Amino acid sequence: MTDTAAQEQRLAKAWARPKGWAYFSDVNNSVIGIWYISAAFAFMLFGGVLALIIRTQLAVPNNNLVSAETYNQLFTLHGTVMMFLFAVPIFEAVAILILPAMLGARDLPFPRLSAFGFWCFLIGGVFVCGSIFFNAAPDAGWFMYPPLSTEQGGIGADIWLLGLSFIEVASIAAAVELIVGVLKCRAPGMHINLTPAYGWYVLVVGAMILFAFPPLIAGDFLFEMERAFDWPFFDVTRGGDPLLWQHLFWIFGHPEVYIIFLPSIALLAMIIPTFAQRPLAGYSWIVLSAIGTGFLSFGLWVHHMFTTGLPSISLGFFSAASEAVAIPTGIQLFVFIATVMLGNVVRTVPMLYCLGALATFIVGGLTGVMLAVAPFDFQAHDSYFVVAHLHYTLIGGMLFPVIAGVQYYYPFATGKLLSRKLGIWSFWLSFIGFNVTFLPMHLTGLLGMPRRIFTYGALRQWGDLNLLSTVGAFIFAAGFLLFVWDCVRPKSSEPNAPRNVWKAGTLEWAGKVPADDWGLRSIPQIDSRYPIWDDKTLLATIDEGKGLLADAKEGRRETLVTSVLDAEPTQVLRVGTPTWLPMLAAIGLGGAFIFPVWKLWWPTLGSALFFLAVVLCWLWTGTAEIPEKQTKDIGDGRRVPLYVAGPQSTGWWAMFITMTGDLTAFLAVLFGYFFFWTIHPDFPPIGIDGPGWQWPMVAAGLAVVTWMATLGARLTNAAGQVTLSRGLLVTGIIAAALTGVALMAGPWTTGLDPTAHSYPAIVWGLVVWIVLHLMAGMIMQAYALARSIFGKLTPRHDADLWNVTLYWHFTGVCALLTALVIGGFPLLQ
Amino acid sequence: MSAKPAHNELERETGYGTDLWRVIAAPVVWALHFLFCYVYGAVYCAKAGRDAPLDQPTIVVIVASLVALALIGLSTLQIWRVRARSLTDNDFEFEHNTPEERHRFLSHVALMLCVLSAVAVIYVTIPMLYLSTCR
Amino acid sequence: MRRARLNIAGRSARLASATLPAIVLAACSPEQSALHPAGVDATELANLFWFMTIGGAVVWCVIMGAAIYAVVGKRRPRSERFADRFVFFGGVAFPTIGLAALLVFGLALLPDWRGTDAPDLRVSVVAEQFWWRLAYEGEDGVRIATANEVHLPVGATVEFALTSTDVIHSFWIPALGGKMDAIPGRTNLLRLTPTKQGIYRGVCAEFCGTSHALMAFPVMVHEAADFATWLAAQRQPATASGADAFVAAGCGACHVVRGVSEAGSVGPDLTHFASRRSIGAGTLELTRANLDDWLIAPTHIKPGVRMPSFATLPDAERTAIVDFLLELK
Repeated sequence: MTDTAAQEQRLAKAWARPKGWAYFSDVNNSVIGIWYISAAFAFMLFGGVLALIIRTQLAVPNNNLVSAETYNQLFTLHGTVMMFLFAVPIFEAVAILILPAMLGARDLPFPRLSAFGFWCFLIGGVFVCGSIFFNAAPDAGWFMYPPLSTEQGGIGADIWLLGLSFIEVASIAAAVELIVGVLKCRAPGMHINLTPAYGWYVLVVGAMILFAFPPLIAGDFLFEMERAFDWPFFDVTRGGDPLLWQHLFWIFGHPEVYIIFLPSIALLAMIIPTFAQRPLAGYSWIVLSAIGTGFLSFGLWVHHMFTTGLPSISLGFFSAASEAVAIPTGIQLFVFIATVMLGNVVRTVPMLYCLGALATFIVGGLTGVMLAVAPFDFQAHDSYFVVAHLHYTLIGGMLFPVIAGVQYYYPFATGKLLSRKLGIWSFWLSFIGFNVTFLPMHLTGLLGMPRRIFTYGALRQWGDLNLLSTVGAFIFAAGFLLFVWDCVRPKSSEPNAPRNVWKAGTLEWAGKVPADDWGLRSIPQIDSRYPIWDDKTLLATIDEGKGLLADAKEGRRETLVTSVLDAEPTQVLRVGTPTWLPMLAAIGLGGAFIFPVWKLWWPTLGSALFFLAVVLCWLWTGTAEIPEKQTKDIGDGRRVPLYVAGPQSTGWWAMFITMTGDLTAFLAVLFGYFFFWTIHPDFPPIGIDGPGWQWPMVAAGLAVVTWMATLGARLTNAAGQVTLSRGLLVTGIIAAALTGVALMAGPWTTGLDPTAHSYPAIVWGLVVWIVLHLMAGMIMQAYALARSIFGKLTPRHDADLWNVTLYWHFTGVCALLTALVIGGFPLLQ
Repeated sequence: MSAKPAHNELERETGYGTDLWRVIAAPVVWALHFLFCYVYGAVYCAKAGRDAPLDQPTIVVIVASLVALALIGLSTLQIWRVRARSLTDNDFEFEHNTPEERHRFLSHVALMLCVLSAVAVIYVTIPMLYLSTCR
Repeated sequence: MRRARLNIAGRSARLASATLPAIVLAACSPEQSALHPAGVDATELANLFWFMTIGGAVVWCVIMGAAIYAVVGKRRPRSERFADRFVFFGGVAFPTIGLAALLVFGLALLPDWRGTDAPDLRVSVVAEQFWWRLAYEGEDGVRIATANEVHLPVGATVEFALTSTDVIHSFWIPALGGKMDAIPGRTNLLRLTPTKQGIYRGVCAEFCGTSHALMAFPVMVHEAADFATWLAAQRQPATASGADAFVAAGCGACHVVRGVSEAGSVGPDLTHFASRRSIGAGTLELTRANLDDWLIAPTHIKPGVRMPSFATLPDAERTAIVDFLLELK
């Protein structure tokens, strides 16, 4: 047996897919990616069926196909499913599938986390969708405005709140995974200026998720406290305010639109250069545009609230930012057109969809510019004009690009080509059907048809336009089904697509057809943006195993970690192998989110403990493993470490990113506190005393003790004083427990009743939030202590302690802030 | 920028010219400016009542905009200096695989973001020229 | 100065609006249309709409023209510099200037709308699931309660003070101007100035529950004198006779008929019920047959409505109630 054949065999063994039922325990990105995409499209089809029922109901005036109650569930679920179960997850799904190959990594840094995210998404999605078959679906709109959603009986709103919070966990998990992937897992030599445009978009979108989703999670937390325990955050009779929810929802909701749009546009940034047969003309413009859009998109949320009676000064600011965001958004479209102008176009189905996406999205963009002018929005808001606008942006900015992406990457994922003929048919049906559906809606809206009405009278004369829209919807559906059929029809008799079928230049096309489980045979040195075009020997280098990491000597799954800016190899990361743990963890967490819907507190607690046990087992057996040797030869005479800790490790980055998101959520809850201050002339309200300043100050002191003890534990451990370090960890655990007690003692001893008024409710809300974090922190400290005692954490191998300390940097600051605000702010009044 | 021997990867990378934090400095200034203007305006109007005049907020917002523009200008100036040193050949493709090129690229993006952020700050100031009360 | 600019744009927009969409619009009911303006604000916004639409259409054609040309056009070697300039002028310079102009132009409308000078008429609106509780402020400051039908004098600036007692609603009369939400715990102000006499229609625009679709109201714009007559009539107590059946059936537990029963005010004030055009907040036309149906099966006509069914009432008694109600001119 030759040397390279033996290497290949070892690689194959290390990366082999589990067989039989164990298939579902797989964690490799190429498998998870396919599951994820399939599930997202399945939910999309479900949402599409809901849309067709909606359109049929509206086809003629005074129709009674469905009742008002059913209709309200239908449109609520349609919006919810399309947004939370298709638009956002499809980004995560596609990125998980293609990003590692694009960057030349064998897998993402945390494959088990991807699997966990997928199972969370699937369980949560089935739960939310299934509700409609029990006539229990949420029916207050996908935006769940209180008081409508708080007053409603039934479990619909709880299903929405808890089910989606659960799914948001998957989004945060994906954000962590993808940010670290782009920053730390690029092939050697792939400097940040050589990273594929897609990578930049993923980075920006990942960061946006960290600032956009947490406010919604915080909002869900407050909302569920109101529904389950009657804490009056949104109840005006007890000092609450429904607008608080609107702020939290749209601080999430508007960036979310760009979280959906940017990664889809990113697909165009990969497709267009390939079919123009030249590099993107204006790579820097694209990066500028991605970053600029990412920032500006956080200054738009109030444009969903233009008619809520906010002062015109607020409308003005948000109107201005909403116009400004059109500039970076538009730039990328011009870059695409310029690329095509400079290149030699190959006319393919993906390009057809790109053009269709452009034509559609620009309409949505222009109506967006119109709606951003606040006075015009007073007319168009909540009318069918907005329905038309948002579908033009989402279908032109997301669906068509994603279909272009599926058409383009289908051979990459499956080795087979899609039919050109079916593709052209499905495009024209979809494109024409879409425009017949939604173009008339602009007019319907301005003729006075409001959104979310289950029927309308014949006197309004909207019948013809609505009938036209309904006919269009069915044409659109036919086109889409044709595309789905093309994807799922059996193709085993067809020949495989040739390697790099589109003659693309980027690294994901360097793989063989059919693809090997291990990805590339060896990881090449990269020195251009389009390595396949620029380096004619690249494929040979890869295939002959002359790149890095061409072997799996120890039989482990390994991928390279490189530095952030210049992609110098810094570590060989041993990534997770197939296991049931992520699925079990998702089931446990799912139980903890789903049982509260029926207020089954014991099963909830049981599920949460099960989740905790599984996660601890997962971490204990699968992370921060002390390697058998310090460094490893990766080929080309280079040796890099197998174990790193602190800011150089992927785990530290993951913790940093997660905690950034967590901090955002905390700030959103804190925003609630100050929001109530702005709306009440007296805050704290007269007659409600508490929580006093004494106990919060004690808590603040103890929080600092905990924080410093944890930091001290890391420093002393690193200095070799293991016993002292363990002692400090024990001190930390005790101090953390006392912090929690002291924090609760304030509102408790002063008799703050959280159901009485929004002020005690928000104080308790902050306290509960911190106490939960203290508990998590104590578990982490205990975990680090146990790792130290069992010899899995040593002065040299201290990654766990680095990560726990980082957690406490964040939690320490949050606890301190909370204590200072609830104790100190009332003194200022 | 720095010729010190690098102790670890992070220091070596961040020590050399423009890093990712420098790139987002200008948009962060925009974000802070926007947040300040909005929060200030909203709190002012919430506390002063519907018919309160906007004389004071107008001045505050304009001053805040000038400060923001100055900060963005400062950032621009810094980057411009590095850029002028390294971007002599008007090659805007930045596709070579060297740390210097990466640095030139990030400087260029940072510079463009400065311009965008400045435009956005000015946009956000425009409404103040019209409004006279909190209504 | 600002006004002058606006009018120039407005005139060109009106010219366009007269020809292009006339065919489509002619076929539509103008009662509830933002494109058939009958108020100062609606007119400005319709002009703004046509102006932006035409501008947008031009922009769309130019960009798509460039894109299609790029795909099918003849190949000419072009430099990277060309691409850079194309992106700069098309994607940066033009939008920056264009959007700034639009912002300046569009926001100029805001202050006019939200004036602080005293309005000619004040109307308080309390939105409830799924109807409108209205109160006009008479000249001597007296409140004149009515429901589900808005009457306005032409040419007068009316200030609506909007709030809600249950969930969030939104008050929208497309023909007169923009909408404003009615939010529990807050009072929002909306100013409208009708310019044309006629009958229009307003609706609830914010999703408010089961029968959100059936929460509307007719809007009558009268000559000032006619309006004054109407208001004076509304101020009077009811004069109808034969209230016995109404009282006996317990209608008074929810409805006020001033002069007859003023105990409960859960539902709409019915003092001058017969002077209105509709039943159930714009749901049915007011006719004897519809009224009878409404008393028999209100939740069938309007799901989720709180009005109970009076189907079990003997026909004679229900007819007596209908007679009484139809007399409440």
